[in-house]
Amino acid sequence: MENINLHQEMKPVDVKKIKEMLNLKKGKMKRYLSHCAHCSLCAESCFLYMAHHKDPQYMPSYKAIYSLGRIYKKKGKVDRKLLTEMKGIVWRNCVLCGRCYCPIGIHIPSMITFARSILRSQEVYPQLDDVSSESWL
Amino acid sequence: MYAFIQGQLVSIAFFIFILGLIFQFFQFFKLTKKKEWIYPPGKVKREKKTAGQWVAFCLASLNGTLWKTDPLITVVTSVFHVFLILVPIFLLGHNILIDQSWGLSLWSLPESITDILTLVFLICVAFFLGRRLFLSRVRAITTVYDYLILLIAAAPFLTGYFAYHQWFNYDTVMTLHILAGEVMLITIPFTKLGHMLFFFLYRFLIGNEYSFARGERVW
Repeated sequence: MENINLHQEMKPVDVKKIKEMLNLKKGKMKRYLSHCAHCSLCAESCFLYMAHHKDPQYMPSYKAIYSLGRIYKKKGKVDRKLLTEMKGIVWRNCVLCGRCYCPIGIHIPSMITFARSILRSQEVYPQLDDVSSESWL
Repeated sequence: MYAFIQGQLVSIAFFIFILGLIFQFFQFFKLTKKKEWIYPPGKVKREKKTAGQWVAFCLASLNGTLWKTDPLITVVTSVFHVFLILVPIFLLGHNILIDQSWGLSLWSLPESITDILTLVFLICVAFFLGRRLFLSRVRAITTVYDYLILLIAAAPFLTGYFAYHQWFNYDTVMTLHILAGEVMLITIPFTKLGHMLFFFLYRFLIGNEYSFARGERVW
């Protein structure tokens, strides 16, 4: 397991691949990200937000903006450190239950899903051991 | 410069605003396609409701909306958005200008009422600003851009209020008022303010309540 983790950390990020993925869903994701009014009204619809004493980092919009939003902002030029940071946001802070509610009608789970697939394409994902021990957080 | 802002730029702004919205509208339908149902939703035969039952149904379904979690913001945001559209359209001064140029005009509200409505609108803006500044969960996702968007939405009303009460130099305030309105019109199709159109378009993607066409489209 350690070897896999080491391998994950050492491998350089394939920016070209990320850019390709970003371009594929540009029309949808850019519109979603740009139309989010940052109103925070989605907060109460997330049970993780409610369960964590209303900690803002569990807000659905926060999770989308700080994972996929950041990748789009940097136009795919992200380093492994940032991707590892996002790993916690998209796998630990969100369980993709799909219950988040946006007044404007933005489908937040699809953004988190897309962020997960980008991370997975760079081999950044929680290992089974990590999940059970929660050491990857 | 003043002549340009008060003359040509108005037409340019409306031109960009309308063409931009049309572009975004067709772009949305180009980017999305009709959903291929795996399990098509069954056709539910709707029972006919009397007016009383319908009102009761509407009031009961309010509990499933933001009204339940945050009544204050629901009221403030509804008032904000309704006034944002209605006040400029039914303002006497605007209708006189339309009448002078096209010879037709809409029904307009008395000036004393629009004055109060503008003030209420500005209070809503202050509420949003306060939320952005003091609520930690809003501050967590706020950027400078959000303040700018709020300013773009509020500036025409603020300057209009100043102009009506003739505070400061009237000509300057009036020019700023026209400029602010033009900036808002131009930015609507291409920025965060695009939710004016996309609020409705996104309903085509939602396969549940509050949707159009049973959410028959997917990206």
